[in-house]
Amino acid sequence: MTDTPEAAVDASETTELEMTAAETYAASLTERLGATGYSEEFDTVRVFVERDAWVETIVAASEELPFFSWLSAIDWSKTTEVGEGVDEPETLEERFEVICRLSSVENADGAIFVATVPKDDASIGSLTPHFGGAEWHEREAHEMFDIAFEGNKNLVPLYLPDDFIGHPLLKSYPLIAREVKPWPGDVDVEPMPDVASDSQDAEGSDT
Amino acid sequence: MNFWLLLVIEVVVMLLLVLTSSLVVIYAELKAGSHMQSRIGPYYAGGRWGWAQPLADGLKFLQKEDLSPTGADKTVYGFAPYVVLMSTLAIFVVIPLGPDLVAVDLDVGVYFVLAISSLSVLGILMAGWSSANKYSLMGGLRAAAQLIAYELPLVLAVVAVVVQAGTMSLNGIVEAQNDVWFSLGSFDVALPFVLRGQVLGFAIFMIAAVAELSRIPFDMPIAESELTMGYLTEYSGIRFTMFFLGEYASMVGLSAIAATLFLGGYGFPGVTGTWANILGPGILIGKIAVLVFLIIWIRWTWPRLREDQLQSMAWTWLIPLALLNIALIAGFKVVF
Amino acid sequence: MTSREMMHRSESAVSIELQTPDMTLNIGPQHPSTHGVLRLVAKVDGERIREVEPVIGYMHRGYEKLAEVRTYAQITALVNRIDWVSGFASEVPFILGVEKLMGVEAPERAQWIRLILSELARISSHLVFISSYPLELGATTPLMHSLREREYILELIEEVTGGRFHPNFNRVGGVKSAYGGGSTTKKQSMDLPAGFFKRTSEAMDRMDKICDDIDTLVTGNELIKMRTVGVGIIPPDKALEFGLSGPNLRASGVAYDLRKSDSYLTYDQVEFDVVSRPGGDCYDRYLVRLHEVRESVKIIRQAIDMIPSGPLQAKVPRVLKAPKGHVYSRAENPKGEFGYYIVSEGGKMPYRLKIRSTSFSNLTILPWILKGQLIPDLVAIMGSLDFVLGDVDR
Repeated sequence: MTDTPEAAVDASETTELEMTAAETYAASLTERLGATGYSEEFDTVRVFVERDAWVETIVAASEELPFFSWLSAIDWSKTTEVGEGVDEPETLEERFEVICRLSSVENADGAIFVATVPKDDASIGSLTPHFGGAEWHEREAHEMFDIAFEGNKNLVPLYLPDDFIGHPLLKSYPLIAREVKPWPGDVDVEPMPDVASDSQDAEGSDT
Repeated sequence: MNFWLLLVIEVVVMLLLVLTSSLVVIYAELKAGSHMQSRIGPYYAGGRWGWAQPLADGLKFLQKEDLSPTGADKTVYGFAPYVVLMSTLAIFVVIPLGPDLVAVDLDVGVYFVLAISSLSVLGILMAGWSSANKYSLMGGLRAAAQLIAYELPLVLAVVAVVVQAGTMSLNGIVEAQNDVWFSLGSFDVALPFVLRGQVLGFAIFMIAAVAELSRIPFDMPIAESELTMGYLTEYSGIRFTMFFLGEYASMVGLSAIAATLFLGGYGFPGVTGTWANILGPGILIGKIAVLVFLIIWIRWTWPRLREDQLQSMAWTWLIPLALLNIALIAGFKVVF
Repeated sequence: MTSREMMHRSESAVSIELQTPDMTLNIGPQHPSTHGVLRLVAKVDGERIREVEPVIGYMHRGYEKLAEVRTYAQITALVNRIDWVSGFASEVPFILGVEKLMGVEAPERAQWIRLILSELARISSHLVFISSYPLELGATTPLMHSLREREYILELIEEVTGGRFHPNFNRVGGVKSAYGGGSTTKKQSMDLPAGFFKRTSEAMDRMDKICDDIDTLVTGNELIKMRTVGVGIIPPDKALEFGLSGPNLRASGVAYDLRKSDSYLTYDQVEFDVVSRPGGDCYDRYLVRLHEVRESVKIIRQAIDMIPSGPLQAKVPRVLKAPKGHVYSRAENPKGEFGYYIVSEGGKMPYRLKIRSTSFSNLTILPWILKGQLIPDLVAIMGSLDFVLGDVDR
């Protein structure tokens, strides 16, 4: 799923067969930056970048998308301690995705840049020399996922206490509160759209 | 024997007067501030209008534990609030409430007042230094810097008054203002100095007095949003009460000096002789009340200046203006 | 003691006497001007700050992890606790993202109600700023006046949603249709409370008046200008680099407002101006917020006239299962761009929810902007950035 945008195809099936505006934008942005691929779903443009080209690509992209919005990561894991896992764990390639969003300040353009980072060598270049705002985001990603950002000199924990052990946003990290008291669990999911069905009933009785 | 009795009476009367007046000013601040902020303010204590609120606050403070930080210099720390309060109380000794109603009529009353009122900053510096707290230290240092900057315009403004009155006795200054300035036919005109060319001096004196009181807009030594409570940070219980009383008492004290120097003190046109002794205190208190209200009003309206802005205001504006004021007054005095 | 040691000692003694070493001043986590539990470790030389290291996380609640074990409906209850000063506004981008993911669109009336409540939240948030900012500079009175007016806004929010701070009013596909809690089939309780629009427009008149009052009390005040004009200037390129958004960015001359540039809800149907100022200093940040209150009042007045009648809730399946996909949804919160990046793997809960909280990004500039400032300016600058610690720590 790295550079073949399966999901993008799915999304475009639901709309028209020709490319949407967002998809056109995604394609041209990818081409301009020389990135490896893109996906576009729900108007969310994702541009896939090689790990080695991470810093250069984002710096180049910031020419047209100057607003540094945020940086984070996703832990793609076959097993999860809490919550729902991935759809098809067998075919999943275990990895981190480091994601960074830049956007324009004149129009709705913006893209999420995605670099895949293997779990056994979780490191990527740091954006701090180019974006001052990246420091805290990288520190957060470092403590939450144990991803090293080479070039960030201040990778000390941001949120967590200094003596905290573990990386909470990893899928392998258990949520202690859930272990102790399994709520809401699978069984006790709040029947959410009660009100909605009520209103449907009300409408039904009217017609 | 007679001397000692008189001394005791004087001290007791003075203390009662000062402490009551500061309680009244505290109450006035609570109420006036509340109404300026569209609040009601104290309402229940005392049964009506919350008049007993300052007393209740005082009692509450007295019950609080008297804490002192581990690293504090205990002697200095404990002594500091009393230095502040003492210097304030001493001001009242020379303030004339009437022609004969003055505890001590010093020939150098003005000099005494200026010297003794600056002592309170020493107490503040002691408090800031001995608290073993960085915020307190910075507050104390700010207070000291403020003193240096503001003592000069204050003194220079007073110098102009001394020049105009030709005496350093506070009583003499009041009488100089009650003397006939000029006569329009049979109508003798006696005006306080503020109406005799001392507007600038009065303004400089009031600005400097507010700065010396460390009240908004010059409350940098306390500066709650910057230094938590500045030199007061570590104080609690009775020692805090002392500082608190001291602040309000010196507000009254400095207002009394301003009223005496610039507004004619106990004097009022047409009030002479024995009547001056009877009505004098009331007249002076009225003038003090106006000035105190002004200070309270400023406090609830304006934000705080920055320390360097205060310094540059003092050195580049107030001191030259005060010098100009002296020159003008002196020239005026020589010519007429 | 060897002679080397002695030399070393004497040298250090001399250096202490000659050049005063920097003092480390711990500002916070309990400090009147840090709005909660922010801690700044500042190296100061007298009053001048050499270096400052913000320490956050005292209030970290791990919402991103908690969201992974909650259904989409349950997450709405979490997200309005991120920025509690404008709780409703932080619900909106999340619910819009989920709706986009599920292919549901809320009925038009629900969109308008969301818009009105978002703008009320904006006014309420800005009034908190307008009240607390002069307080940080030492002026206590604007606080009372604007908090009093904010109470009218909170009452409006409360009568619609049932909560003053945490409305939890959005549902996937609409808004909660019955007010006052509980489900009932009575038709009249399915809509906004009676007389809501009348009370809203009365409150809007009050807002106009308080803006004028604040103008006379604060805006024109010479001392406020002395403390804020030219203090803490953020140039636009730095603002973008540090990801500042909202009024902080607009005060630096970048007219970036998602309500205009990436319109959502029904913002494209109302007329309003994007307030921006060129200076980038504390005074401009204050002015932008004050003017935004006026713009919000304009928006709400139009919305009251334009809101159509109709249902409040679209038809949605009983159990919400999102399709697989990634969606980034953002909205212009009172404090700036607020976004949610939802990664769905096709279940009832998100696989990953990245919360782009505004104050967090707005605060990343602190170490840069505070370097070399005076301590009184630290308070002025920090206050002008208008952050909420819940929004920083998530």
